[in-house]
Amino acid sequence: MIKRKNTKNKKKQSNFAKLSIFQNNKFKFKKSCPLSVKGAPIVDYKNIKLLKKYISENGKILPSRITNISQKKQRELSLSIKRARNLALI
Amino acid sequence: MNLYEHTIVVKQDISPGQIEKLTEKYSKIVEKNDGNIVQTQNWGLLNLSYIIKKNKKANYIHFKIKANGKIIKELEKNESIDQNLLRYMTVKVKKFDLETNYFSKNDEIGKKEYNKN
Repeated sequence: MIKRKNTKNKKKQSNFAKLSIFQNNKFKFKKSCPLSVKGAPIVDYKNIKLLKKYISENGKILPSRITNISQKKQRELSLSIKRARNLALI
Repeated sequence: MNLYEHTIVVKQDISPGQIEKLTEKYSKIVEKNDGNIVQTQNWGLLNLSYIIKKNKKANYIHFKIKANGKIIKELEKNESIDQNLLRYMTVKVKKFDLETNYFSKNDEIGKKEYNKN
């Protein structure tokens, strides 16, 4: 009896491992873009508080794969960050 | 007619009287050429994030202009000569956001946070 239980457990683990490799998206917690939700703040070069969230300590723009921002909003962000840099706001 | 947002960065060691003169000077240029100034905002003295021409702080003035593109050329021509200015920038927008002033609000919020600490 004990042996059987062990084998069952092993099978379950192996299955789960396979799933996690091939069906990554289903099981990973996928965040949605924080800026394209309803009621999200408008991306603007004057809104420094918002822009400061999306730059690193050295002032570099963070990649969208870390911040989970949609492609469209990322383009807007990078443009407005560059504008704010030009005015020495960031 | 297009909508533009125009910001000027003025040197720090200039008196507030002179700042008013500057704003008048540039708003006159716009109005002479059939332009319309919808709103002017004075953001006040802000810290620059990096030094520009040995200045650590600067005054910011923000215009919202409804005008033709030629006027912007005329404005920037005058501003590029002006020695009191450090930077200027114009951005073409589709809609004006007249209600929010990020910089006046930021001051109030910042002060509150400091008081808590």
